[in-house]
Amino acid sequence: MPGAPPDVIQQVPLFADLTRKQVEEVARLFKHRRFRAGETVIREGSGGAAFFLIESGEAAVSVRGEERAKLGPGDAFGELAMIDEGARSATITASSEVDCWGLTFWDFQPLVEMNGPIGWKLLQTLAKRLRSAEQAGSA
Amino acid sequence: MKGVVPLAKADQHDVFGSKAVGLGEATRGGLPVPPGVALSGPIVEAVASGEERAIKKVAKSVRTLEGPFAVRSSAVGEDGADASFAGQHVTLLNVPSGAELTDAVREIWWSANSDSAITYRQRTGLFVRPSVGVVVQALLDPETAGVMFTQNPINGADERVIEASWGLGEAVVSGRVIPDNYRVARSGEILARTPGLKKIAIRRGPDGGTVDEQMSPEDAERDCLSDAQLAELNMLAARCEEVYGAGRDIEWAFADDRLYLLQCRPVTRAGTA
Repeated sequence: MPGAPPDVIQQVPLFADLTRKQVEEVARLFKHRRFRAGETVIREGSGGAAFFLIESGEAAVSVRGEERAKLGPGDAFGELAMIDEGARSATITASSEVDCWGLTFWDFQPLVEMNGPIGWKLLQTLAKRLRSAEQAGSA
Repeated sequence: MKGVVPLAKADQHDVFGSKAVGLGEATRGGLPVPPGVALSGPIVEAVASGEERAIKKVAKSVRTLEGPFAVRSSAVGEDGADASFAGQHVTLLNVPSGAELTDAVREIWWSANSDSAITYRQRTGLFVRPSVGVVVQALLDPETAGVMFTQNPINGADERVIEASWGLGEAVVSGRVIPDNYRVARSGEILARTPGLKKIAIRRGPDGGTVDEQMSPEDAERDCLSDAQLAELNMLAARCEEVYGAGRDIEWAFADDRLYLLQCRPVTRAGTA
């Protein structure tokens, strides 16, 4: 069966509130991608059309050349650029060989446009994240 | 699913991409193209998606080809797409066998969706879903290889301009050597030969991929093409012009004493109209 395992996709916060059937629909759209150690996965400031979920391996996150975090299996990144077509906000570099599941804008947009319930749940998830960020900013 | 054809049957730009169709024309025109197959944009995407049927179909299609393979992207959808996306879409040389082909096809599909390719698309107003075909060919193990313009790309003079180096042509295309430079008149007269500095040759690696071979100082500096080989290249230029028309940018290789055509596309920056 093509696509990522639905159980893995359900763990992504962006998709955590979807029903099992909805998760299966989204999971089918993911494609496997492998990065070699040292390869740039995404680059700060560049355009991007894909969202990634790490299946195995480790990667480093840096902003303006300063390392900020490490990512490992189960971590996901790149959803903002996939949705708003904006620039990447960080650089992510593979520290080891990294196996990912990737979802592109080209597959994701039609799914959301044609599937109101999925779009609504994603909107709720993003609204929750925005509220959390605002509360953290005003604290 | 229609999606894999021998190169000779690749004739639809919007299905197989411009590189595949160009090589298809060359094959049909009797030019010496290494054997290969063309994969359509949809089957490349299906392979990248992990669809078993598509993966098996592609693996079956290359059974008659002698490995290792050169696996190249063939951009679909825009005029001059391969030239536009040169450097964005990857080429994978020395893919050992059909078993590794799925990963290679998937990597090429992702190269069309990489951040650099998407940034390029956004900047050039081509922000549409990319479609990329793939050409799979038997990889040569050339003694020499390089590029040739059927007319001078700088001043438009009616002469062949040839750049050559040892091993695979990627050394010339990627600018990793100073290639030998030759100018040959349409009549076959050698107008100029300027030896380069070819310190490395890119060769097939033992376990896939490529390796750099260090050349001796003598080989680095000596001409890598004979007069007879230049005459063969001049004839190939004439044949390409017969098939495609004037003003061609050619990639070629000599392997086992035979001249092969690897790519033939219009010159994009000729000095004259």
